[in-house]
Amino acid sequence: MEIMRLVVTGPVGAGKSTFIRSVSEIAVVDTDRQATDETSLIKQKTTVAFDFGRLAFGPEMALHLYGTPGQSRFDFMWDILIQKAHAYILLVAAHRPREFVDARRIRAFMRQRSQVPMIIGLTHMDSPNAWDIENTAIALGYLNADKCPPIITVNPNEAASVAQAIITLVQHSMQNCLV
Amino acid sequence: MAVTGYLSEFSLAEIFSFLEQGNKTGLLTICVLSEDQSKKRENHYVWFNQGRIVAASNRLDQHGLANMIGQRGWLGEHTALRVAQTCAATMPIGLILKTQGLLTVEQLKLLFYAQVMRQVCALFSLKDGWFQFDGKVPLPFAEMTGLNAPATEVTLSALRVLKDWSALASKLPEPSSAIKGIIEGKPQQKLNQSEWHLWEFANGTLALHTIAKQLQLPLEKAQQIAFRLVTAGLVEEVPLVTVSSVASRPEATGPEIAVPETVPAEATAVSHSFLHNLVGFLKGKV
Repeated sequence: MEIMRLVVTGPVGAGKSTFIRSVSEIAVVDTDRQATDETSLIKQKTTVAFDFGRLAFGPEMALHLYGTPGQSRFDFMWDILIQKAHAYILLVAAHRPREFVDARRIRAFMRQRSQVPMIIGLTHMDSPNAWDIENTAIALGYLNADKCPPIITVNPNEAASVAQAIITLVQHSMQNCLV
Repeated sequence: MAVTGYLSEFSLAEIFSFLEQGNKTGLLTICVLSEDQSKKRENHYVWFNQGRIVAASNRLDQHGLANMIGQRGWLGEHTALRVAQTCAATMPIGLILKTQGLLTVEQLKLLFYAQVMRQVCALFSLKDGWFQFDGKVPLPFAEMTGLNAPATEVTLSALRVLKDWSALASKLPEPSSAIKGIIEGKPQQKLNQSEWHLWEFANGTLALHTIAKQLQLPLEKAQQIAFRLVTAGLVEEVPLVTVSSVASRPEATGPEIAVPETVPAEATAVSHSFLHNLVGFLKGKV
Protein backbone atom coordinates (compact mmCIF):
# COMPACT_ATOMS: atom_id res chain seq x y z
CA MET A 1 0.00 0.00 0.00
CA GLU A 2 1.40 3.37 -1.05
CA ILE A 3 0.36 6.15 1.31
CA MET A 4 0.80 9.89 1.22
CA ARG A 5 0.49 11.66 4.55
CA LEU A 6 -0.71 15.25 4.68
CA VAL A 7 -0.84 17.25 7.87
CA VAL A 8 -3.56 19.86 8.29
CA THR A 9 -2.51 22.42 10.86
CA GLY A 10 -3.48 25.88 12.03
CA PRO A 11 -4.75 27.83 15.04
CA VAL A 12 -7.92 26.94 16.91
CA GLY A 13 -11.02 27.42 14.79
CA ALA A 14 -9.24 27.67 11.46
CA GLY A 15 -11.26 24.71 10.12
CA LYS A 16 -8.85 21.77 10.40
CA SER A 17 -11.38 19.13 11.50
CA THR A 18 -13.98 20.33 9.02
CA PHE A 19 -11.38 20.28 6.25
CA ILE A 20 -10.59 16.62 6.90
CA ARG A 21 -14.23 15.62 7.35
CA SER A 22 -15.16 17.19 4.02
CA VAL A 23 -13.05 14.76 1.99
CA SER A 24 -12.48 11.77 4.23
CA GLU A 25 -14.19 8.59 3.10
CA ILE A 26 -14.26 7.34 6.67
CA ALA A 27 -15.72 8.96 9.73
CA VAL A 28 -12.95 11.15 11.02
CA VAL A 29 -11.18 9.51 13.90
CA ASP A 30 -10.67 11.81 16.82
CA THR A 31 -7.83 10.19 18.66
CA ASP A 32 -8.21 12.27 21.76
CA ARG A 33 -7.44 9.93 24.63
CA GLN A 34 -9.07 10.51 27.96
CA ALA A 35 -6.93 10.03 30.99
CA THR A 36 -7.50 6.89 32.98
CA ASP A 37 -7.34 6.80 36.75
CA GLU A 38 -3.88 5.28 36.67
CA THR A 39 -2.38 7.71 34.23
CA SER A 40 -4.41 10.81 34.92
CA LEU A 41 -1.48 12.70 36.33
CA ILE A 42 0.54 12.22 33.19
CA LYS A 43 -2.40 12.29 30.84
CA GLN A 44 -3.65 15.62 32.02
CA LYS A 45 -0.50 17.15 30.69
CA THR A 46 0.00 14.95 27.68
CA THR A 47 -3.36 14.40 26.08
CA VAL A 48 -2.85 12.84 22.66
CA ALA A 49 -5.26 14.40 20.22
CA PHE A 50 -5.49 14.70 16.49
CA ASP A 51 -7.99 14.08 13.71
CA PHE A 52 -7.45 11.36 11.15
CA GLY A 53 -9.12 10.96 7.78
CA ARG A 54 -8.48 8.75 4.78
CA LEU A 55 -9.08 8.85 1.06
CA ALA A 56 -8.40 5.66 -0.91
CA PHE A 57 -8.22 6.11 -4.66
CA GLY A 58 -6.96 2.75 -5.78
CA PRO A 59 -6.53 -0.74 -4.44
CA GLU A 60 -3.04 0.13 -3.21
CA MET A 61 -3.15 3.90 -2.94
CA ALA A 62 -4.43 6.11 -0.16
CA LEU A 63 -4.15 9.63 1.14
CA HIS A 64 -4.01 10.01 4.90
CA LEU A 65 -4.91 13.31 6.49
CA TYR A 66 -3.80 14.25 10.00
CA GLY A 67 -5.14 17.28 11.82
CA THR A 68 -2.94 18.70 14.53
CA PRO A 69 -4.36 19.42 17.98
CA GLY A 70 -6.15 22.72 18.17
CA GLN A 71 -4.45 24.03 21.25
CA SER A 72 -1.30 26.08 21.00
CA ARG A 73 0.50 23.37 22.94
CA PHE A 74 3.33 21.73 21.13
CA ASP A 75 3.69 18.24 22.54
CA PHE A 76 5.40 15.17 21.17
CA MET A 77 2.43 14.35 18.92
CA TRP A 78 3.09 17.48 16.87
CA ASP A 79 6.66 16.35 16.52
CA ILE A 80 5.69 12.88 15.34
CA LEU A 81 3.12 14.16 12.86
CA ILE A 82 5.40 16.64 11.15
CA GLN A 83 8.36 14.27 11.05
CA LYS A 84 6.29 11.72 9.15
CA ALA A 85 4.40 14.11 6.89
CA HIS A 86 4.99 14.38 3.14
CA ALA A 87 3.49 17.88 3.04
CA TYR A 88 1.24 20.12 5.08
CA ILE A 89 -1.31 22.88 4.78
CA LEU A 90 -1.47 25.70 7.30
CA LEU A 91 -5.05 26.90 7.67
CA VAL A 92 -5.53 30.49 8.84
CA ALA A 93 -8.86 32.20 9.54
CA ALA A 94 -8.44 35.42 7.56
CA HIS A 95 -11.07 37.26 9.60
CA ARG A 96 -9.36 36.72 12.96
CA PRO A 97 -6.11 38.71 12.97
CA ARG A 98 -5.63 37.85 16.65
CA GLU A 99 -4.69 34.34 15.52
CA PHE A 100 -2.05 35.40 13.03
CA VAL A 101 0.51 35.24 15.83
CA ASP A 102 -0.50 31.62 16.54
CA ALA A 103 -0.21 30.80 12.85
CA ARG A 104 3.31 32.25 12.85
CA ARG A 105 4.23 30.16 15.89
CA ILE A 106 2.95 27.00 14.22
CA ARG A 107 4.78 27.75 11.00
CA ALA A 108 8.03 28.42 12.87
CA PHE A 109 7.60 25.16 14.79
CA MET A 110 7.00 23.19 11.61
CA ARG A 111 9.81 24.87 9.68
CA GLN A 112 12.26 24.17 12.48
CA ARG A 113 11.52 20.45 12.20
CA SER A 114 10.77 19.75 8.59
CA GLN A 115 11.40 21.15 5.15
CA VAL A 116 8.49 19.35 3.49
CA PRO A 117 6.39 21.37 1.03
CA MET A 118 3.62 23.47 2.51
CA ILE A 119 0.88 25.80 1.41
CA ILE A 120 -1.34 28.24 3.27
CA GLY A 121 -5.11 28.02 3.10
CA LEU A 122 -7.08 31.09 4.10
CA THR A 123 -10.50 30.30 5.51
CA HIS A 124 -13.50 32.52 6.30
CA MET A 125 -12.64 34.75 3.36
CA ASP A 126 -16.35 35.49 2.88
CA SER A 127 -16.41 37.36 6.18
CA PRO A 128 -16.62 41.16 5.82
CA ASN A 129 -13.69 41.49 8.24
CA ALA A 130 -11.44 39.09 6.35
CA TRP A 131 -8.00 40.35 5.39
CA ASP A 132 -7.07 39.82 1.76
CA ILE A 133 -4.37 37.40 0.64
CA GLU A 134 -1.67 40.04 0.13
CA ASN A 135 -2.10 41.62 3.55
CA THR A 136 -2.44 38.29 5.33
CA ALA A 137 0.80 37.14 3.73
CA ILE A 138 2.58 40.22 5.11
CA ALA A 139 1.01 39.72 8.54
CA LEU A 140 2.25 36.14 8.51
CA GLY A 141 5.76 37.36 7.76
CA TYR A 142 6.01 36.65 4.04
CA LEU A 143 7.60 39.81 2.70
CA ASN A 144 9.25 38.36 -0.35
CA ALA A 145 6.95 36.93 -3.00
CA ASP A 146 9.70 34.59 -4.19
CA LYS A 147 9.92 32.95 -0.79
CA CYS A 148 6.21 32.81 -0.15
CA PRO A 149 4.47 29.44 -0.40
CA PRO A 150 1.26 29.22 -2.43
CA ILE A 151 -1.58 30.94 -0.58
CA ILE A 152 -5.08 29.89 -1.52
CA THR A 153 -8.61 30.51 -0.37
CA VAL A 154 -10.37 27.43 0.94
CA ASN A 155 -13.80 26.71 2.34
CA PRO A 156 -13.40 23.70 4.66
CA ASN A 157 -17.14 23.04 4.50
CA GLU A 158 -17.07 22.36 0.76
CA ALA A 159 -15.58 19.12 -0.47
CA ALA A 160 -14.74 20.63 -3.85
CA SER A 161 -12.84 23.50 -2.27
CA VAL A 162 -10.92 21.13 0.00
CA ALA A 163 -10.15 18.85 -2.95
CA GLN A 164 -8.80 21.86 -4.86
CA ALA A 165 -6.65 22.82 -1.88
CA ILE A 166 -5.17 19.32 -1.72
CA ILE A 167 -4.53 19.40 -5.48
CA THR A 168 -2.60 22.63 -5.01
CA LEU A 169 -0.60 21.09 -2.18
CA VAL A 170 0.16 17.93 -4.15
CA GLN A 171 1.15 19.88 -7.26
CA HIS A 172 3.34 22.13 -5.12
CA SER A 173 4.91 18.99 -3.67
CA MET A 174 5.59 17.66 -7.17
CA GLN A 175 7.36 20.88 -8.07
CA ASN A 176 9.45 20.55 -4.93
CA CYS A 177 10.63 17.08 -5.86
CA LEU A 178 8.77 15.20 -3.16
CA VAL A 179 9.31 11.98 -5.04
CA MET B 1 -10.57 44.69 1.54
CA ALA B 2 -10.18 46.65 4.74
CA VAL B 3 -7.37 46.23 7.20
CA THR B 4 -9.40 46.67 10.30
CA GLY B 5 -9.93 45.21 13.74
CA TYR B 6 -9.50 45.79 17.44
CA LEU B 7 -6.26 46.49 19.27
CA SER B 8 -7.16 43.74 21.71
CA GLU B 9 -6.92 41.33 18.76
CA PHE B 10 -4.12 42.82 16.71
CA SER B 11 -1.91 45.05 18.81
CA LEU B 12 -0.51 48.39 17.77
CA ALA B 13 2.96 46.83 17.74
CA GLU B 14 1.74 44.19 15.28
CA ILE B 15 -0.02 46.82 13.15
CA PHE B 16 3.13 48.95 12.93
CA SER B 17 5.20 45.91 12.09
CA PHE B 18 2.70 44.96 9.37
CA LEU B 19 2.64 48.49 7.90
CA GLU B 20 6.42 48.80 7.87
CA GLN B 21 7.10 45.34 6.48
CA GLY B 22 4.40 45.86 3.85
CA ASN B 23 5.83 49.29 2.91
CA LYS B 24 2.33 50.69 3.30
CA THR B 25 1.29 54.24 2.51
CA GLY B 26 -1.93 55.67 3.90
CA LEU B 27 -3.77 56.60 7.06
CA LEU B 28 -4.14 54.56 10.21
CA THR B 29 -7.15 55.61 12.25
CA ILE B 30 -7.44 54.55 15.87
CA CYS B 31 -10.73 55.06 17.62
CA VAL B 32 -10.41 54.82 21.39
CA LEU B 33 -13.14 52.72 22.90
CA SER B 34 -14.53 53.99 26.15
CA GLU B 35 -17.10 52.34 28.39
CA ASP B 36 -18.39 55.78 29.25
CA GLN B 37 -20.92 56.49 26.47
CA SER B 38 -21.19 60.14 27.46
CA LYS B 39 -17.55 60.72 26.61
CA LYS B 40 -16.74 62.28 23.27
CA ARG B 41 -15.28 59.82 20.79
CA GLU B 42 -11.52 60.14 20.67
CA ASN B 43 -9.74 59.46 17.40
CA HIS B 44 -6.05 59.36 16.58
CA TYR B 45 -4.54 59.47 13.13
CA VAL B 46 -1.12 58.26 12.00
CA TRP B 47 0.05 58.73 8.43
CA PHE B 48 2.48 56.34 6.76
CA ASN B 49 4.61 56.69 3.67
CA GLN B 50 6.30 53.50 2.44
CA GLY B 51 6.11 51.98 5.91
CA ARG B 52 7.51 55.04 7.69
CA ILE B 53 5.55 57.31 9.98
CA VAL B 54 5.41 60.82 8.57
CA ALA B 55 2.79 62.53 10.73
CA ALA B 56 0.34 62.04 13.57
CA SER B 57 -2.56 64.04 14.90
CA ASN B 58 -5.86 63.82 16.71
CA ARG B 59 -7.58 65.91 14.04
CA LEU B 60 -8.14 65.64 10.31
CA ASP B 61 -8.36 69.33 9.38
CA GLN B 62 -4.59 69.49 8.78
CA HIS B 63 -4.23 72.31 11.33
CA GLY B 64 -2.42 70.20 13.92
CA LEU B 65 1.17 71.06 13.01
CA ALA B 66 0.44 74.75 12.43
CA ASN B 67 -1.21 74.80 15.83
CA MET B 68 1.90 73.28 17.44
CA ILE B 69 4.13 75.83 15.73
CA GLY B 70 1.89 78.63 16.95
CA GLN B 71 1.86 77.30 20.52
CA ARG B 72 5.64 77.40 20.59
CA GLY B 73 5.62 81.00 19.38
CA TRP B 74 7.90 80.22 16.47
CA LEU B 75 5.42 81.52 13.95
CA GLY B 76 1.84 82.70 14.09
CA GLU B 77 -0.56 79.82 13.59
CA HIS B 78 -2.40 81.77 10.90
CA THR B 79 0.84 82.51 9.10
CA ALA B 80 1.78 78.86 9.13
CA LEU B 81 -1.66 77.90 7.88
CA ARG B 82 -1.49 80.52 5.12
CA VAL B 83 1.85 79.14 3.99
CA ALA B 84 0.37 75.66 3.99
CA GLN B 85 -2.63 76.76 1.96
CA THR B 86 -0.77 78.83 -0.60
CA CYS B 87 1.81 76.17 -1.30
CA ALA B 88 0.88 73.42 -3.66
CA ALA B 89 0.13 70.18 -1.86
CA THR B 90 3.27 68.48 -3.04
CA MET B 91 5.71 69.24 -0.26
CA PRO B 92 5.62 68.96 3.53
CA ILE B 93 4.93 72.30 5.20
CA GLY B 94 7.96 71.78 7.44
CA LEU B 95 10.28 71.72 4.45
CA ILE B 96 8.61 74.80 2.98
CA LEU B 97 9.05 76.75 6.22
CA LYS B 98 12.66 75.64 6.46
CA THR B 99 13.36 76.63 2.86
CA GLN B 100 11.88 80.06 3.54
CA GLY B 101 14.07 80.40 6.62
CA LEU B 102 11.08 80.51 8.96
CA LEU B 103 12.01 77.35 10.91
CA THR B 104 15.33 75.69 11.65
CA VAL B 105 16.19 72.01 11.33
CA GLU B 106 16.36 71.77 15.13
CA GLN B 107 12.87 73.22 15.45
CA LEU B 108 11.56 70.70 12.93
CA LYS B 109 13.15 67.87 14.92
CA LEU B 110 11.50 69.11 18.10
CA LEU B 111 8.17 69.33 16.31
CA PHE B 112 8.52 65.81 14.93
CA TYR B 113 9.38 64.48 18.37
CA ALA B 114 6.32 66.11 19.93
CA GLN B 115 4.00 65.30 17.06
CA VAL B 116 5.00 61.74 16.26
CA MET B 117 7.22 60.18 18.89
CA ARG B 118 5.36 61.51 21.93
CA GLN B 119 1.82 61.22 20.57
CA VAL B 120 2.22 57.82 18.96
CA CYS B 121 4.14 56.29 21.84
CA ALA B 122 1.27 57.27 24.13
CA LEU B 123 -1.10 55.17 22.00
CA PHE B 124 0.70 52.00 23.07
CA SER B 125 -0.81 52.32 26.53
CA LEU B 126 -4.36 52.04 25.15
CA LYS B 127 -6.17 48.98 26.49
CA ASP B 128 -8.35 48.68 23.44
CA GLY B 129 -9.47 50.53 20.40
CA TRP B 130 -10.76 50.01 16.92
CA PHE B 131 -8.37 50.52 14.04
CA GLN B 132 -8.58 50.88 10.31
CA PHE B 133 -5.90 51.40 7.72
CA ASP B 134 -6.87 53.17 4.52
CA GLY B 135 -4.26 52.92 1.78
CA LYS B 136 -6.03 55.41 -0.49
CA VAL B 137 -5.65 58.52 1.67
CA PRO B 138 -3.18 61.05 0.20
CA LEU B 139 -0.26 62.30 2.30
CA PRO B 140 -1.21 65.25 4.58
CA PHE B 141 1.48 67.74 3.56
CA ALA B 142 0.17 70.42 5.93
CA GLU B 143 0.76 68.04 8.87
CA MET B 144 4.22 66.93 7.80
CA THR B 145 7.51 68.23 9.12
CA GLY B 146 9.37 66.45 6.33
CA LEU B 147 10.93 64.08 8.84
CA ASN B 148 9.92 60.45 9.26
CA ALA B 149 10.66 57.41 11.37
CA PRO B 150 10.44 53.67 10.65
CA ALA B 151 7.30 52.35 12.33
CA THR B 152 9.19 49.67 14.23
CA GLU B 153 11.63 52.25 15.60
CA VAL B 154 8.67 54.04 17.15
CA THR B 155 7.40 50.69 18.44
CA LEU B 156 10.73 49.90 20.07
CA SER B 157 10.82 53.31 21.76
CA ALA B 158 7.25 52.95 22.98
CA LEU B 159 7.60 49.40 24.29
CA ARG B 160 10.82 50.19 26.15
CA VAL B 161 8.95 52.61 28.37
CA LEU B 162 5.62 50.78 28.52
CA LYS B 163 4.63 50.17 32.15
CA ASP B 164 1.45 48.13 31.83
CA TRP B 165 1.85 45.10 29.55
CA SER B 166 -1.47 43.46 30.43
CA ALA B 167 -3.03 44.23 27.04
CA LEU B 168 -0.12 42.45 25.33
CA ALA B 169 0.01 39.42 27.63
CA SER B 170 -1.35 36.99 25.02
CA LYS B 171 1.09 38.30 22.42
CA LEU B 172 4.27 37.68 24.38
CA PRO B 173 6.40 34.73 23.32
CA GLU B 174 5.78 31.68 25.50
CA PRO B 175 8.32 30.93 28.25
CA SER B 176 8.87 27.51 26.65
CA SER B 177 9.57 29.02 23.22
CA ALA B 178 12.94 29.92 21.76
CA ILE B 179 13.69 32.90 19.55
CA LYS B 180 15.50 32.69 16.27
CA GLY B 181 17.08 35.46 14.19
CA ILE B 182 15.44 36.02 10.82
CA ILE B 183 17.81 38.61 9.37
CA GLU B 184 21.18 38.35 7.71
CA GLY B 185 23.97 39.66 9.90
CA LYS B 186 23.50 42.00 12.82
CA PRO B 187 20.47 44.23 13.44
CA GLN B 188 20.60 47.70 11.93
CA GLN B 189 18.25 49.10 14.56
CA LYS B 190 19.61 50.80 17.64
CA LEU B 191 19.11 48.15 20.31
CA ASN B 192 19.63 48.72 24.00
CA GLN B 193 21.84 46.53 26.14
CA SER B 194 19.18 44.05 27.26
CA GLU B 195 17.95 43.65 23.68
CA TRP B 196 21.49 42.91 22.53
CA HIS B 197 21.89 40.36 25.30
CA LEU B 198 18.74 38.51 24.24
CA TRP B 199 19.72 38.78 20.59
CA GLU B 200 22.85 36.77 21.41
CA PHE B 201 20.57 33.86 22.31
CA ALA B 202 18.43 34.05 19.16
CA ASN B 203 19.48 30.69 17.78
CA GLY B 204 16.20 28.80 18.11
CA THR B 205 17.39 26.27 20.66
CA LEU B 206 17.07 27.73 24.17
CA ALA B 207 13.72 28.32 25.82
CA LEU B 208 13.07 31.84 27.04
CA HIS B 209 12.83 30.70 30.66
CA THR B 210 16.35 29.28 30.34
CA ILE B 211 17.62 32.45 28.67
CA ALA B 212 16.03 34.53 31.43
CA LYS B 213 17.85 32.45 34.06
CA GLN B 214 21.16 32.79 32.26
CA LEU B 215 20.75 36.54 31.93
CA GLN B 216 19.39 36.79 35.47
CA LEU B 217 16.29 38.53 34.20
CA PRO B 218 12.74 38.10 35.45
CA LEU B 219 10.97 35.79 32.96
CA GLU B 220 8.34 38.41 32.20
CA LYS B 221 11.05 40.92 31.34
CA ALA B 222 12.72 38.45 28.98
CA GLN B 223 9.37 37.82 27.27
CA GLN B 224 8.84 41.55 26.82
CA ILE B 225 12.29 42.04 25.33
CA ALA B 226 11.72 39.07 23.02
CA PHE B 227 8.42 40.60 21.92
CA ARG B 228 10.23 43.82 21.07
CA LEU B 229 12.70 41.90 18.91
CA VAL B 230 9.82 40.05 17.22
CA THR B 231 7.93 43.24 16.38
CA ALA B 232 11.14 44.83 15.14
CA GLY B 233 11.32 42.02 12.59
CA LEU B 234 14.61 40.70 13.98
CA VAL B 235 13.57 37.34 15.40
CA GLU B 236 10.70 34.91 15.32
CA GLU B 237 9.26 32.87 18.13
CA VAL B 238 9.98 29.17 17.72
CA PRO B 239 7.91 26.92 19.99
CA LEU B 240 9.86 24.04 21.46
CA VAL B 241 8.45 20.71 22.48
CA THR B 242 8.22 21.14 26.22
CA VAL B 243 10.41 18.98 28.44
CA SER B 244 7.39 17.48 30.18
CA SER B 245 5.96 16.47 26.80
CA VAL B 246 9.20 14.92 25.64
CA ALA B 247 9.52 13.04 28.91
CA SER B 248 6.10 11.57 28.39
CA ARG B 249 6.69 10.38 24.85
CA PRO B 250 5.36 6.86 24.36
CA GLU B 251 8.84 5.36 24.36
CA ALA B 252 9.59 6.98 27.66
CA THR B 253 6.46 6.25 29.60
CA GLY B 254 5.39 2.78 28.58
CA PRO B 255 2.46 1.28 26.77
CA GLU B 256 -0.31 2.97 28.74
CA ILE B 257 0.11 6.09 26.60
CA ALA B 258 0.57 4.18 23.39
CA VAL B 259 0.53 6.21 20.21
CA PRO B 260 -2.70 5.57 18.32
CA GLU B 261 -2.43 3.12 15.43
CA THR B 262 -3.10 5.83 12.91
CA VAL B 263 0.23 7.53 13.57
CA PRO B 264 2.58 6.71 10.70
CA ALA B 265 5.60 4.59 11.42
CA GLU B 266 7.96 6.32 9.05
CA ALA B 267 8.03 8.71 6.13
CA THR B 268 8.72 7.16 2.76
CA ALA B 269 8.71 8.84 -0.62
CA VAL B 270 5.67 8.54 -2.84
CA SER B 271 5.90 7.85 -6.55
CA HIS B 272 5.10 10.17 -9.44
CA SER B 273 2.34 7.86 -10.62
CA PHE B 274 0.80 8.00 -7.16
CA LEU B 275 0.73 11.78 -7.21
CA HIS B 276 -0.67 11.92 -10.76
CA ASN B 277 -3.37 9.43 -9.85
CA LEU B 278 -4.21 11.41 -6.73
CA VAL B 279 -4.52 14.67 -8.64
CA GLY B 280 -6.66 12.99 -11.27
CA PHE B 281 -8.89 11.50 -8.59
CA LEU B 282 -9.29 14.81 -6.75
CA LYS B 283 -10.08 16.69 -9.97
CA GLY B 284 -13.13 14.49 -10.23
CA LYS B 285 -14.31 15.94 -6.94
CA VAL B 286 -13.81 19.60 -7.80
